[in-house]
Amino acid sequence: MKEEIAQIQSDALSAIESASDGQALDQARIAFLGKKGRLTTASAGMKDLSKDEKPVVGQLLNTARCAITDALESKGRILQDEDDRASMEGLDITLPGQPLHPGNLHPLTQLKDRAIGILRRLGFALAEGPEIETEFHCFDALNTPPEHPARNEKDTFYFGSGKLLRTHTSTVQIRTMETQPPPVRVIAPGSCYRRDEVDKTHLPAFNQLEGLYVDNDVQVGDLKGTLEFFYRAMFGEETEVRFRPHFFPFTEPSFEIDARLQLKGQDPEWIEVAGCGMVDPAVFEEICKARGDDLYHPDKVTGYAFGMGLDRLAMIKWGIKDIRLLIENDARFLSQFS
Amino acid sequence: MLVSRNWLAEHLDLTGLSNAELDDILTFAGVEVEGISEQGVSSDLVVVACIMQTDPHPNADRLSVTQVDAGEGELRQIVCGAKNYKVGDKVPCALPGARLPGGFEIGETVMRKVESRGMLCSAVEIGTGSDHSGLMILPADWETGKPVHNFVENDTIFEIEVTPNRPDLLSHHGMAREVAALTSRDLKTVEIPLAELAPAGNALSLEGQDACPFYTAVTIRDVKVGESPEWLRTRLESIGLRPINNIVDITNFVLHEMGQPLHAFDAAKVNGGICIRNAGEGEIFSALDEEDYKLNASDCVVSDHSGSALALGGVMGGQDSGVTESTSDVILESAWFDPPSIRRTARRLNLHSDSSYRFERGVDPQGVTSASAFAASLIVRLAGGSIEGPTIHAGAPPELSGTVTLDPARLQQLVGGAIPMEKAANALERLGLTSTGENQWQIPSYRLDLQRHVDLAEEIVRVNGLDAIPSRNLAKAAIPGRVDTRYDLELDLKKQLAALGFYEAQTIKLIAESQLPDALPLRPLQDGDIIRVSLPLSEDHSIMRPSLAPSLLSTASLNVRQGAKAVRFFETGRCFRNAGGGKATDLEIDALGIILGGSIQPDFWARRTDDACDAFALKGVLENILPGVQLQLTPADPGNFILAAQVTANGKTIGSFAQLSPSRGRELDMEFPVYLAELDLNRVCELRGDNSHVVELPQFPGSSRDAAMEAPAELANAEIEKSIRKLDESLLVSFACFDVFRDSTGEKMDSGRKSLAYTFHYRAADRTLKSEEVDVAHQKTLRHLEKTLPISYR
Repeated sequence: MKEEIAQIQSDALSAIESASDGQALDQARIAFLGKKGRLTTASAGMKDLSKDEKPVVGQLLNTARCAITDALESKGRILQDEDDRASMEGLDITLPGQPLHPGNLHPLTQLKDRAIGILRRLGFALAEGPEIETEFHCFDALNTPPEHPARNEKDTFYFGSGKLLRTHTSTVQIRTMETQPPPVRVIAPGSCYRRDEVDKTHLPAFNQLEGLYVDNDVQVGDLKGTLEFFYRAMFGEETEVRFRPHFFPFTEPSFEIDARLQLKGQDPEWIEVAGCGMVDPAVFEEICKARGDDLYHPDKVTGYAFGMGLDRLAMIKWGIKDIRLLIENDARFLSQFS
Repeated sequence: MLVSRNWLAEHLDLTGLSNAELDDILTFAGVEVEGISEQGVSSDLVVVACIMQTDPHPNADRLSVTQVDAGEGELRQIVCGAKNYKVGDKVPCALPGARLPGGFEIGETVMRKVESRGMLCSAVEIGTGSDHSGLMILPADWETGKPVHNFVENDTIFEIEVTPNRPDLLSHHGMAREVAALTSRDLKTVEIPLAELAPAGNALSLEGQDACPFYTAVTIRDVKVGESPEWLRTRLESIGLRPINNIVDITNFVLHEMGQPLHAFDAAKVNGGICIRNAGEGEIFSALDEEDYKLNASDCVVSDHSGSALALGGVMGGQDSGVTESTSDVILESAWFDPPSIRRTARRLNLHSDSSYRFERGVDPQGVTSASAFAASLIVRLAGGSIEGPTIHAGAPPELSGTVTLDPARLQQLVGGAIPMEKAANALERLGLTSTGENQWQIPSYRLDLQRHVDLAEEIVRVNGLDAIPSRNLAKAAIPGRVDTRYDLELDLKKQLAALGFYEAQTIKLIAESQLPDALPLRPLQDGDIIRVSLPLSEDHSIMRPSLAPSLLSTASLNVRQGAKAVRFFETGRCFRNAGGGKATDLEIDALGIILGGSIQPDFWARRTDDACDAFALKGVLENILPGVQLQLTPADPGNFILAAQVTANGKTIGSFAQLSPSRGRELDMEFPVYLAELDLNRVCELRGDNSHVVELPQFPGSSRDAAMEAPAELANAEIEKSIRKLDESLLVSFACFDVFRDSTGEKMDSGRKSLAYTFHYRAADRTLKSEEVDVAHQKTLRHLEKTLPISYR
């Protein structure tokens, strides 16, 4: 009996060893461990053994069963690994990957978010206002004379109601000061409209970002510091920024801002990027009248305001030569901003 | 405005000031130089040449072959296209190597097989004057071979943007005054004779005092109208004006010299005397631009005693009252017109002139009589004749500039103490202001813009430059408000849609009326709800978009025409409408629009599917961006669409869903089904923002049971969901449809019925459910459905 068990074990191990695939291995399992397998049959002989022999032979049978089972498992893993490896043969990893539908944010959204992010770092909160505006919020309150060219029907879109499409986001300055006491420190990105024919650099609707800071001691130096920080954060720390005196009805003194920028394939040049200035006292006086209090009296507060064209900034930043690309939404254009 | 450097130099010494320095000084004082151009040639290689011979070009009818003497000892052959010369004429000749204005370099060439060694030039080509009709014929006494610049003065022309607050800069004298102030140089004094002034009496009456508070006229008899001398023509041509005759040229010259518009009438055409009056309503005025203008009572006209209008005051002279070759007596007008009045007239008639440009910004009231005297003396000098009697005047020059107080404390606050008061005072003095006491400053009459402390502060900052003021950066803590929170939520939403494979579109909010049928507004539009602009640029941009769908459709169409196989775009932004047929006006609603259609997945070599997106693809996107929200579509009147539904979130309508009608799709070149959704962006952001609490993960396993049922084809999934929710079985945590089967042929199932399969998931929070407990709950669910709906189990 003992020899027989040893023989079975030895035969089984060599059969398992020589099995070349899963099927041969399975046949070996059946031949030795199956219902009519040799070890199973041998185990059946246990009942004829003496009481003394039973534990010894039982031990042997158990050892043999374990050895065969282990060998089956181990060989099984080897064969599986071989199969796995074989299944990889001929795979051309250089074929293209599975494409997903691309998608991204519009470049103007990306730029606007970047601008907002920079200004939030300086503690500006967002503000908003309607795009269909009153002449008061768009012109009167901003110290624009009644005969100013901007009020012309040829330059500004009007409605039958007498309202108009705001020509700048400066309307939000007025909206904000009407409803909030000083100090205010807000930025307002948004659409503006002017009656410009569509061409490479003009659209009848465009996007501006307005900034307003009113407090009890706002200085020209604050305006300078804020906008220098903004353009350096936007275009790089080395960016030079300069302020040229200019004229706007709602700020005095007023400035235009140039940044020295290098457009793709060109020498660096000074490019006009924004208008700004110290809020004109006449604007504060209008606010006092509209509010019916004197919280914004020019003796109590000073402030600065700035406005920049976001479309223009995007065109500068990415070297976009035709503004119409920004509203056509051709996926071949949009995909470049992923 | 164009400014000639030579002309400017008549008023102050510009020695040592390069064009670039002048550009910088002006630009950084707020007087922006937009362009600089050179006039005339500085090259020694552009010389006076004499044409010695000319022959037809053998191979070109329009060309000639000339032999010219350029002072080189031998003749030079040059091919020439002009015809306006004869042998013996002297002309400018650019020799090889010469560089002409505009950077064009002359070389030796062969033109139609004939050698040409240089170029004969027109006035334009050598940058003097505007005549390009032929060669510039030079005076016969100019020495052959000498550089042309020995005889013709070079000039530099500055193109300057003068801001509307600085009309005092709209002349060479005014600009010189500014440069003198900015560079601390002295202005040269220009001798202006004093005019004898006398009240007008009957010869001049002023009825339109509002528009014209001050009018002067002087008569010059026996003038000889003719060509202006060269110096005068050169001055005018340098700034792009065409010389006409000496009288007109003098008025133009004085305008650009002193900033005071003048007008010269032919005295023979003035009947009786001059009357300044308001125009009659509907009065027709024939201007010297040969157009007729219809006037109204707010316009100011200069007329004679017969009543006929000689000029539209301050804007333009009349067609018949001006100076011509036959004029012998001239009445010279110099007046001060009210800026708003001129602005209204010029704008309404769309009639703009150098005069109206200056009057509407404001000319120096104290300059009216000196400009008149200067012009009259020039006329006598250049056209002969004599001044008859005194200059008559009516009205008085308005006193518009007085004393302004400078507040030192406010100035120092503005500049952060960076500009000492002495420097501030110095800046004002340089600009012509005079101190009249403690911080009191007398404003010169030409600076109409200086009225308040802040105007003086601006001048001080401008003259000292911003470099003097140190930058300061004080960040402040800002608590995010409503707009900030909304912005963040919207941006998160956009990023998610981008991650789901959608491009964000941005379109113009002005759309065409013809796009309106594509609109998918949040609420239906009635008559009177559309907002139109009064004077659209074009039909394409005539109404405020009431919905994002029209522009999303044109975006999709454009992309399909460019070869896109799928359209996946979204846009967020304002939509505009009235409501209640115009009862509530100018509503601005932020919307989210999504368009989806075409291939469900991009082409891939390993797995091909030609499946196009269906309604459930877009519904799935909506479910994805509104997780945890009970989102449902409720069929609605499709209108222009083939399918439409209301989108509800937690039972409340938040927008619309539609499938484009295939015929409209084909018009837009989209051959696949196209789906649109338009949602109230505020509601979407609110729903997405409300995710503040986290649910604990289940501690115990649950079990699922499936059920297959048969139902009438028209029974909506929503009905089944509603019924299950109503039951509110506490152990049922979720359920979902996983199969729908219909057989339109009726072979396997009645075509009016469908087979549905749902899976139900049961779980208790506090224990592992026993199988029997699950069975009881499941049976309860099934029996409830069977009772409330026309279904049977299979």
